[in-house]
Amino acid sequence: MLSLINLTLTAQVDGKSVDVLRDISFSVARGQVLGLVGESGAGKSMIGRLIAGHTPPGFEVSHGQVLFDGMELLALKPKQWRALLGRRIAFIPQEPLTALNPVLTIGQTFDEHLMLLGVDRGKRASIIQQQMEAVHLPGPQDMVRRYPHQLSGGQCQRVLIAMAFAAEPALIIADEPTTALDVVSQSHVLSLLAEQQRLHAAAVVLITHDLRLAAHVCDDIVVLYAGEQVEYGPARDVLRQPRHPYTWALHQATPDVHGERRRLPAIEGQMPGVSALAGIVGCRFAARCPTRNAACENAPQNLHQSTPGHWVRCSATCEVAVTDADAPVAAGAGAAWQAPRGEPSATPLVELQNLSLCYTARRGIWGQRKVHNFAVSDLSMKVQPGEFVGIVGESGSGKSSIARLIVGAEKPTAGRILIEGRDRGLTDPAVLRLTREHVQMIFQDPHSALNPRRSVYRLLTQAYEVGQAPDTPQRKPREARGQQLLQDVGLPADCLERFPSQLSGGQKQRVNIGRALCAMPRLLVADEIVSGLDVSVQAQILNLLLELGRRHGIALLLISHDLSVVRYLCSRVMVMQAGRIVEQGKTDAVFANPQHAYTRLLLGSVPPADPNVPWPALPVAA
Amino acid sequence: MIEADMQLAAPVAPPARAPSAFRQVLRQLVRQPRVLIGGGILLIVALAALFAPWVAPHDPLEQDLLHMLAPPMWATDGDMAFPLGTDSLGRCVLSRVIYGSRVALIVAVVSAMGAMLVGSTLALIGGYFGGKIDRSISYVVDLWMSFPPVVLSLILLVGLGTGVDKVILAVVLVDWTRFCRVVRADVLVTRRRDYVLAAQLIGFTHLRTLLREVLPTVLPLMITLFSIEMGVAIVVEATLSFIGLSVPPDITTWGQMLADARSDIQSALWVMLVPVCAIVITVLGCNLLGDGLRVALDPRLRKRGK
Repeated sequence: MLSLINLTLTAQVDGKSVDVLRDISFSVARGQVLGLVGESGAGKSMIGRLIAGHTPPGFEVSHGQVLFDGMELLALKPKQWRALLGRRIAFIPQEPLTALNPVLTIGQTFDEHLMLLGVDRGKRASIIQQQMEAVHLPGPQDMVRRYPHQLSGGQCQRVLIAMAFAAEPALIIADEPTTALDVVSQSHVLSLLAEQQRLHAAAVVLITHDLRLAAHVCDDIVVLYAGEQVEYGPARDVLRQPRHPYTWALHQATPDVHGERRRLPAIEGQMPGVSALAGIVGCRFAARCPTRNAACENAPQNLHQSTPGHWVRCSATCEVAVTDADAPVAAGAGAAWQAPRGEPSATPLVELQNLSLCYTARRGIWGQRKVHNFAVSDLSMKVQPGEFVGIVGESGSGKSSIARLIVGAEKPTAGRILIEGRDRGLTDPAVLRLTREHVQMIFQDPHSALNPRRSVYRLLTQAYEVGQAPDTPQRKPREARGQQLLQDVGLPADCLERFPSQLSGGQKQRVNIGRALCAMPRLLVADEIVSGLDVSVQAQILNLLLELGRRHGIALLLISHDLSVVRYLCSRVMVMQAGRIVEQGKTDAVFANPQHAYTRLLLGSVPPADPNVPWPALPVAA
Repeated sequence: MIEADMQLAAPVAPPARAPSAFRQVLRQLVRQPRVLIGGGILLIVALAALFAPWVAPHDPLEQDLLHMLAPPMWATDGDMAFPLGTDSLGRCVLSRVIYGSRVALIVAVVSAMGAMLVGSTLALIGGYFGGKIDRSISYVVDLWMSFPPVVLSLILLVGLGTGVDKVILAVVLVDWTRFCRVVRADVLVTRRRDYVLAAQLIGFTHLRTLLREVLPTVLPLMITLFSIEMGVAIVVEATLSFIGLSVPPDITTWGQMLADARSDIQSALWVMLVPVCAIVITVLGCNLLGDGLRVALDPRLRKRGK
């Protein structure tokens, strides 16, 4: 249905021409799902934009063809091309909430979409009804009268899927359709997408950053790295026997929810940006590749078939190394290990006793009716010194509220927070100072957490600007402490004078961690700190946290929606739902033998590492 | 991707030292034509005001009854001694315009400064602390803004009497709400940023958090508003002196010149046109500068640099 043949997209960057996409070839037939997998900046969304005819100005196809149903898309006039979009080629966007017009009801938006497709006025209502039922939306009659903000993210995505399939398109481009959704709705939406795709026998191009998810949902997978197609083959083969070192490393850097716990081998460094690509002659992954040689550094590699239907862009020597059972990426990979357990006998670092947090909203004209909304209700827990504890749950389960309560950004409605046995609620200045210095927070969004007007040095050592100098080891002067923190979090020495805008996402997160470490805290509260990062960078940050815990004996309270991350770091885990802990215990025990239905649901929503396990195994209906 | 670029470029050629934030801003300012033109106009006006006794050919109050309503020097009956002609009392129009810029600029700078201080301080306090404090400040602003500004300043001036200081006070009291509203919105956004919470968790006092974390973020907006407010203040001052409520008659202002020229508008249009042009050009300079600053100081609107 869609084929790209030796496609090269060239852009002008700083006066040099750069191949943003280099030599991309794949095809997807009717009734098949093709996964485009890669980290951010790999060029996967650019392929989607290219098919939509929306390449940014200055980007030109310098070589190759895009064939859709036998037609050469690039040769079409813009008007003919546009006529295909929506009718024969449909799109499912990444952010379902922003893709729907907020001032129109779902029904109006759908109706407008059908009108553009040229459906008669009389038939539209019944088609809408039929499509809404097909995507298993509860109460379709009621649903069409609602506005987008009254629907959940998953429901909005269902509406968009219904709209995309309403035109009976031959090809669907889904750009990260589940990235903005919770794990449970992610698997629901993916099952729905698969069901609709089978029903309408459409070809689907699924753009995603999640290799395992793609392996379960797609028939074929294309792995992209820095605009280069490094691997292309049947989904299960690519996951089970990755041929390219990058695919292998990407697979290895993803923590598992089952099986033996192993140390994650992180891929060092960063994916090169567009302007750096011009300087790379050979394989674009070579700089980070553990098995590189002079040949792949100096000449572009060709895509060759390693087994029938499985293409890889790597010289034969690397490939052999990868297929060896031994880990080439990092020594010690694969070795089983223990998460930090802490000292069970000591006074707990933090103890929550019957803690509640309640938001009160006033309703009615005079605000006479009070509506109580419990973000956290009657919750008790402990963190021991040196222990890594995880809290998992979907968005809205109240897990971030716990973080804010512990660090003192919110006041509890009821209950007590004890920090090293002392009540946080008291206003004794000595206690306040102690709680402040012993409990620090790492923020979710490093971009928002770093003041853009401070240099890295002034960010890391911000604690020195408080009237009383922090209780650092040997009361170091500020300069020395800045240098030491920089080393602790693994940043290069020339970063000290830079500003946050000059750092990459992973580096910003390192600064974020370093700042929290400045006053030698005993507990770090980390709220979703890796959710915005790419897999390879995520592994670097997770290993850094383990290293810090081991070296300084710091305890960690990790709050995450990602079960695999929690399993990797934490020795104890708590599962939260609607402000309550529904299950808790040793990580291994909870993951191996979940007791509560909700825990089982969460675990079932994670794509397993083994491509033969059927997934998503959930019912299609929400 | 841009971020990734920098990251990769770093090891290849270690950047000498990242240019300081101040330098970067300065470079942005110079790149904006609006900043250059607006700033240039204001600089010329300021120099004229500062060196008025040396620049102006005559004393602005000196009457030459032999040369009443003399046309500009390039007209047929023009006199080289009065480059822009004279008014109905034989006073040199050019000298009066130059001296008039003194009052205009003093009022513009001081009252804009005053409105900025009052408005932004309340905005910072209200936006940062929120709750009851914010609500009461917002109520006052709403109430204040529902008063017609001209009526409010008239009442103030009638009550206080005339004088430059009273005009400044009137402008500050009328226009602080503008700063308060706009800056408060920005403070509310900044306050939600995690780095403000981070500073509090590190142990910054509220005052220190406000001054070190919040204020620098909203400062560009305040500078921009300041520049635009200068233009507003010039117009308000001209209006008030036009109706004779601003300054005593022995101080020359542009509004007074307009009022004096009104009676001779049929026979001697230039006497009216000169102060009008002075007001228009100066206010245009303020607005251009403000608009240029807005673009130059807002990193989101900035052209992608290298």
